[in-house]
Parts: sequence; C-alpha cells; structure tokens
Amino acid sequence: MVPPQYYLLLSAAVFCIGLFGILTRRNALLFLMSVELMLNAANINLVAFSYVWGNVTGQTFGLFTMAIAAAEVAVGLGIILVLYRDFGDVDVTKVTTMRW
Amino acid sequence: MSALLALQSSPLPDWAAVAPALILALTGLLLLAIDSINPTSSNSPVLAGISTAGSLFAFAVAGWFLIEGTGQAATGGEISLYGDALVVDGMSLFFTLIFTIVAAMVSIASMDYLSKQRYQGEFYALVLFAATGMVLMSMSNSLATAFVSLELASLPSYALVGFLKDNKGSIEAALKYFLIGALSSAVFAFGISLVYAATGSLLFPDVARALSGGTGMTGVLGMGMLMILGGFAFKTASVPFHFWAPEAYEGAPAPVSAFLSSASKAAGFAVAFRVFIEAFPITQLPAGVDWVLAFQILAVVTMTLGNFAAATQENVKRMLAYSSIGHAGYALIGLAALSANGPNANVLGASMAHLLVYGFMNTGAFLFIALVEHWGVGRTFEDYNGLGAKAPMASVAMSVFMFSLAGLPPFGGFFSKYVLFYSAIEAGFWWLAAVGAINSALSLFYYSRVVKALWIEDDTSSLELGSKPVGLYTAILFAAVGTLLLLPAFRPVIETAQTVAAALF
Repeated sequence: MVPPQYYLLLSAAVFCIGLFGILTRRNALLFLMSVELMLNAANINLVAFSYVWGNVTGQTFGLFTMAIAAAEVAVGLGIILVLYRDFGDVDVTKVTTMRW
Repeated sequence: MSALLALQSSPLPDWAAVAPALILALTGLLLLAIDSINPTSSNSPVLAGISTAGSLFAFAVAGWFLIEGTGQAATGGEISLYGDALVVDGMSLFFTLIFTIVAAMVSIASMDYLSKQRYQGEFYALVLFAATGMVLMSMSNSLATAFVSLELASLPSYALVGFLKDNKGSIEAALKYFLIGALSSAVFAFGISLVYAATGSLLFPDVARALSGGTGMTGVLGMGMLMILGGFAFKTASVPFHFWAPEAYEGAPAPVSAFLSSASKAAGFAVAFRVFIEAFPITQLPAGVDWVLAFQILAVVTMTLGNFAAATQENVKRMLAYSSIGHAGYALIGLAALSANGPNANVLGASMAHLLVYGFMNTGAFLFIALVEHWGVGRTFEDYNGLGAKAPMASVAMSVFMFSLAGLPPFGGFFSKYVLFYSAIEAGFWWLAAVGAINSALSLFYYSRVVKALWIEDDTSSLELGSKPVGLYTAILFAAVGTLLLLPAFRPVIETAQTVAAALF
C-alpha cells in the first residue's frame, strides 16, 4: 500500500498548480479550469483517506464535491458569457469600470 | 393560543424542525411554477408578494419554534436529523430569524426596484433558494452539509449580483464575486479534505472526539482549519477574502447588496460559530494549533481596514460596502474573545445579537440606496445633498440607520455594540474592545457625512424625484422601526442569544 503521506504530497501539488494558474492566468476560462484542479486536489485527499480510515464518508463527499463543481461551472460559464457580450473579452484584468 | 396548546399536546415529528428551510425552498419552487405559466410577464406585485409572504411565514415558524423552545434544553436539547448531518437548536433558529426577515424586506423592496426588468420570477426564486442555503448553513452539523449549503447560498448569489445583464457594473461585480467565491470554496473544500485526513470524520462531534484522542497529523489539521477559516472569511467578507465585497456591493442591484451584506454575512458567521466551537473545541486543540489567535488577528485587521477604507470613499454605496467589512470585524469578536474558562456564551451571544440588529440597520441603509437609485439620483455624497427636504420620511429613516450603524445611543446599534465590547472586556480581551471602540468613533465620521449631505448641505441639482414607490418605502420604514424597537426590546434579544449560545459549549 502506498503510504498516505504520498497522497497528501500529490494533492498539495495539484492544489498549488491550480493556485498558480489562478494567480497568473488572465483568461476567465482558464481560471475556471484552475479552480477545478484545486477541487480535484481535495477529492484526491478525500478518496485516499477514505481508504486509510476504512469508511466511505470521504468517497461520498468526493461525489458531492464533483456535483457542486459542475454546478459552479454552470453559473460561472453563464457569467463569463454575459461578460463576453458586455466587454467583448474574457480577460479578467480588463474588467475595471469600478475603482479597486 | 388554543392552537399552540393543541400542537404541544401532539408533538410534531422531528423532521418538522427544518420547516423554515422547507417553506423557503417550496416558496422558491412555487415562484418558478407561477413564472413558467406566463414567463414573459413582469407582474411584480404578485411575485414579490408571494416571496415576501413565504419569507415571513418562515420567520413566524422560526420565531414560534424559538419561543416554544424547540431544540433547546427545556424540550430535550438539540434535534439531530439525517444521521446527525443537520441539527436544529436555538442558535440555528435565531439565525433563521435574521435570514428570513432580511429576505422579506429585500423581496418587498425589489418589487419597485425591478419594475421594468424581465425574469422577475427567477429573481425572487433565487433570493429564496439562497435564503434556504443560509438556513441550512446555520443548521449544518457536518463539514459536508456546511460545504453543500454554503454553495447553495453562494451560487444563487452570483447570479443575483449579475442580474442586470446589460449593466456593465453588475456583470463586473458578478465576475469578481464569482472568481473570489470559486477560489475560496476550493480552498474551503481542500481544508475539509485535510481535516478529514487528520481525523477520519466530517461530523462535528466526531471530529472533536478524534481531536481529544490526539491526532498524529497536527500540521495537516492546522492547515485544514486555516483553510476552512478562509472559506468563512469569504462568506463574511472578512480579511483576507474581502476583496470582492466593495466591487460586488457597488455593482450589484442595491436590494441584492442589502441581502448579501446582511443575511449572507450572518450565515457565514452562523456556520463559523458552529464549526469552530463544536468541531474544534478550544479545550481539545493539540498544542500549536490555536484558531482563537487567528480570529483575534483577523478581527483587528478586518475592522480597522474596513473603517479606514470606508472613511476615504466618495461613493455612498461603496462606503457602506467597506462599513460592512468593518462590522464583520466587530462580529468576529464573538470568536476572537473566547478562552478556555471565560464567559464564552456571553461573548458569542453578544455577537449574534449584533448580527440581528445589523440585519435591520444595514438592510435598511442599502434599501435607501436602492430607493435613491430608483429615482436616478447619483451615487456620491454630493448627489445626496438636499434629499432631506425632498424626501423627508426616507431621509429620517436613513439617518436612523447611519447613527445606529455608528452605535449612537437612542438606536438598536448602540446596545448591540455596547454589549459586544463589554462582553469582550469581561472575557479579559480589553484590547479587542478598545480597537473596536476606536474604530466605532472613526466610523461616526463617514456615517455622519451622509446625514450632513441629506439635511445640511444645500441642494444644487434641479432633479425632480419621481413617485414614492410603495414597496421600497414599506421596507425602509419597517427596517427603521425595527432598528428603533430593538433598543427597548434588546433585553429579550440578548438573553435569547446568550442562552442559545450557551447550549453550544
């Protein structure tokens, strides 16, 4: 059996890749993909430790996370679509009609 | 009275305790059904009326449960449902009162604000679904339900902020709210997964039990708690996830800003209180993991940042947005002033009572902005010059909200702030109370600017105000009366809050 620390390392790496994407990418769609990576990092932990602890709580919650991620993307794509209609771009740094 | 006695003699089944959430959800579905019969209509009085009635019904049921002692020690303690995933106790009912009354005020005010908009049925349904999520947040007893209900409250909120599809500000606000929200919910989910990794459970009591037995992964647990805290910081608009608040509140339709800054913030606190007190009890934390310290830092930074930023604003709505960040800082005292043997229930109860009073005064202030936007008056302090002469009744109400937010004596905000700071001193955290009091004094500066513009400055514009919209006026006056009445009625409120808070420890 792979020691559980390795899963923690893997999930932390995936989480950091997602965070890096959010901080550096300007395209709203890539931002969404990065958020998905971060949520999947949580899923890796949940499934791995579900096995370690010998209960299915983690796996079940992993399914919940996936469903919620899908719902979040649906709302997010809707917002990005109107963003494109109103601003003609999906670059998150160009949307500045209000002072920061 | 006889009806009450009859119900008492034949006790309701346990699942009936979630009735407020069920009523809100069913009203939302009813609105969608009515809207689908004639989707192109903009029949706002009917839709707004149903939405308001549903919220008020849920409010009445929650109030009745609270008075009857449902889920409290007197009637056998908290009611656990669905394998302990949800729990109905005094605290969840107390917070339900806040969410439902704010939802009712927002619904009735939106009737005029949205009068020429399409998709009104969807608007009210989204408000009610978000309110359902908030009620479930206050009832959640497991990290899984906390996450799902937090998303149920957040997803409709994103759509509501971007409701004015042709308004660039509204879309920009929705985008920023969504981006920060998605990021913080991912951080929250990762935090949950780390806590699960360290303890092997998601239910709060089981997490606490695992902690008391000692865990081999203190570092993982600490990181997880810190990330969960981040998720709440987003929902309550506290540092470090507060960036969305000024943008979202300024760009969103004003009734939605009112809803988010009052109800959504209270929901974030409701679930944060329960998670940190039930799942991570102070007395059972492993050495080196101290969330109280984190909340102390956050409380001080949040209230200082919010108040100083508010003082520099020229736009009234944006000023209120920063002031709402400052008030999140005050409410954070409820978690920051806890200690192993301190008067914890008093501190937490004071914070809850402040959130209730804040629900009235802050909703009212944002609804006044909605009224002003409805008339087409500008957004800066100068644009408000002379409004007192043109619209005296609404301006008196706005002055009440401003002075109450600042914490001046004859209004509800005075007692709630006083008790909050006093309980912090009682708990031995005099410096938290001192920072709060200094910030409160500063806040008087920018709140009184609004009052000065309304009553003292001369009117320079020749703008004629349109008709007096009934819905907006009703909601604003209701909020003003609530703010005033909460001064004499503060004793029962604070006693209830501290009693239900005591049940958590």
